Amino acid sequence: MFGKLMIGATALLLLAAQVCAETIEDKVAVCAGCHGADGKPVDKTIPTIWGQQAGYLYIQLRDFKRGDRKSEIMQPIATQFERDDMLAIAEYFSQKPWPDLGQPRAPKDVAAKAITASASVGCPACHLDRFQGDGTVPRLAGMGRDYLAKTIADFRTRARGNNPGMSDLMLATSPDDLAALVEYLAGL
Amino acid sequence: MHVKGLAAFAAAVGVGLLSGAAIAQEVKQEKQSVLGNANVPPVTQEQLNAADKNAKDFLLTNGNYAQTRFYPGKQISRDNVRNLHVAWIFQTDVKESLETSPIVVDGVMYVTTSFSHVYALDAKTGQQLWHYAHKMGPITVYCCGPNNRGVQVLGDRVYLATLDSKLMALNAKTGEAVWTTNIADPELGYSETMAPTVVKDKVLIGTNGGEYGIRGFVRAYDAKTGKQLWNFNTIPENSVGVWATKDATGRDMHRNIQAEKDMLAKIGDPYAKLGGGVWQNPSVDLATNRIYLVVGNPSPDLDGSNRPGDNLYTNSMVSLDLDTGKYVCHFQYIAHDVWDLDAVSPTVLVDVKDKGGKTIPGVIHAGKTGHIYVHDRKDCSLIRFSEAMVPQENMWVLPTKEGARMLPGANGGVEWSPIATDPGQALAYAINLHQPMTYHVETSAYPNGKLWLGGAFKVIPGEKQSGNITAVNYNTGKIAWQVNTPEPMIGGILATAGGLVFTGEGNGKFAAYNSSNGKELWSFRAGAGVNAPPSSYMVGGKQYVVVGAGGNTQLDYKRGNNIIAFTLD
Repeated sequence: MFGKLMIGATALLLLAAQVCAETIEDKVAVCAGCHGADGKPVDKTIPTIWGQQAGYLYIQLRDFKRGDRKSEIMQPIATQFERDDMLAIAEYFSQKPWPDLGQPRAPKDVAAKAITASASVGCPACHLDRFQGDGTVPRLAGMGRDYLAKTIADFRTRARGNNPGMSDLMLATSPDDLAALVEYLAGL
Repeated sequence: MHVKGLAAFAAAVGVGLLSGAAIAQEVKQEKQSVLGNANVPPVTQEQLNAADKNAKDFLLTNGNYAQTRFYPGKQISRDNVRNLHVAWIFQTDVKESLETSPIVVDGVMYVTTSFSHVYALDAKTGQQLWHYAHKMGPITVYCCGPNNRGVQVLGDRVYLATLDSKLMALNAKTGEAVWTTNIADPELGYSETMAPTVVKDKVLIGTNGGEYGIRGFVRAYDAKTGKQLWNFNTIPENSVGVWATKDATGRDMHRNIQAEKDMLAKIGDPYAKLGGGVWQNPSVDLATNRIYLVVGNPSPDLDGSNRPGDNLYTNSMVSLDLDTGKYVCHFQYIAHDVWDLDAVSPTVLVDVKDKGGKTIPGVIHAGKTGHIYVHDRKDCSLIRFSEAMVPQENMWVLPTKEGARMLPGANGGVEWSPIATDPGQALAYAINLHQPMTYHVETSAYPNGKLWLGGAFKVIPGEKQSGNITAVNYNTGKIAWQVNTPEPMIGGILATAGGLVFTGEGNGKFAAYNSSNGKELWSFRAGAGVNAPPSSYMVGGKQYVVVGAGGNTQLDYKRGNNIIAFTLD
């Protein structure tokens, strides 16, 4: 038991030393496993973080650490980081080019439906013109379709609990309109 | 996005596919400040005090400390305004929502853009003298666009409040930063979009954040050092009030007072995260040394279940002592608001008729409700309210989960847009929105500085929207004239001694109207939304009118990056 404790403690110390000594490239190496070595996520339900707004990325890391946003994968990773690490990681990825996921543009009728729905609850007031995002508000243009659909669904059930304002807006929008928005945003 | 990153992106997708938005992003983040040399004399307090009589300059955001937006020059008049033409167009580096009020000091103009950029321009030619490109921190939290509404100059300094909640003094001649003070933590939902008001070596500033559970304030900072001099919390520790059941116009607001009292007993006073942002400049009464401001909505906007009481001083006009920030009086328009029909358009000081017909110092405010409210400046009491400038329907139906239809929509009425007045005609000019909406309520806990609406206000697709320019006689409350516009209006308006009012629309139209009857006398198409307040000034013996044409984020009007000055042949 004592031996096990010692091994565990040594491992923790090594991990701590590693975190301190790491360069930014070391710190973000783990991210590529899911978010993609070339910025294209390995799974369609994983978000694009290359070229994403730095403020948004920082807030998500902060919220994973606090437990305000739930994820069995992201929470232990974010827990290692202090605020300055999070800001540096966020800045690092925000400076990468946004990847082209090759998603088709939405047909005209779908786009028109999406734009009407978006105007109704005022999406561009925060996500800005052409859904580029800014500061703590994410870029949505060209985000993976499946991730968008999953996130909207999670907002509606409040499974994604770290932005109740977004949950309110998604609940006030019909599933039909939201489906159109997903198509539209993915294809921008 | 770095230049390097952009090049890689361009290579990957082909330059031809680069969107305007990507380019705009590039400009916003990479543009560096360009220092320069603006040959401008220092602005004295005496000049600022007399701004209402000065046709050469436009020294304060709303023209003068009374905020009349009445320009005293009359070279451009009803007789010749048809000959108005473009003197110059300056293109800023930022193509995003443009709400700036141009300030003019002795032939030098100061304008701002979204993301807190400042430009000094030659007011005669439009030539750039310097450009301050704010290095924005990564954390910005704002509800309604990355806007900035302008700067003010005192001495040889230009005062700016930034989106990442900093207050700055720049060198008026060169654009160099002199000092920077952190106002509040943007991570908790604080941001700045308003122009500061500078008076008697104090820089007065409010805060945004009513959609994020902040505790609002107005502060005075030392103009020389940036040190805080006083703070007034717009939400007092006792925010409960008098359990008002009727609004300022006497209509029942359908409050469940018993349920609120029960909640108060359970959770205590909700003051700490109750919102109460201050979006616009206070007016300053130099004779009594008092300021008058309006306080915005409570947080969360649509859900009143966890904020029992009147939620003082949200949705109120408040008067403070200029030197100390101490409370003098207030008047609340809507207690316990659950519609975001709050108070945002700046107050104006004019002499008004009281109920007995006697002329007294008054203060007026145009509400999102669509009424212009007329108050006694002495005690803030309400003398009268105007006829409604927009359709009202189903007031005050409570928001529901499914959505309850009510007019006006949550943007008003009159949004943040400053009004203008012509004291000679006792008229106030307001631009209005008509946007039918449904009001939806949801309950959630305080989300640590995130968007906290407590539901949603939804524009009803298919229902006709419109706007109007309305002239109201503030001594009677009657509408003198009204011009309907095809789209809801947001931006601002200017009245002049030439018998004109100037204002713009989201479709790019900028026009002059006869200030006595609303007849359109001249118009221009700017190519992007004209959603900013116009200013006027003289240089080289000629009068100019200037306005920003950059569209609007909140109403998603076509973006542009133009500052356009007009003059006569």
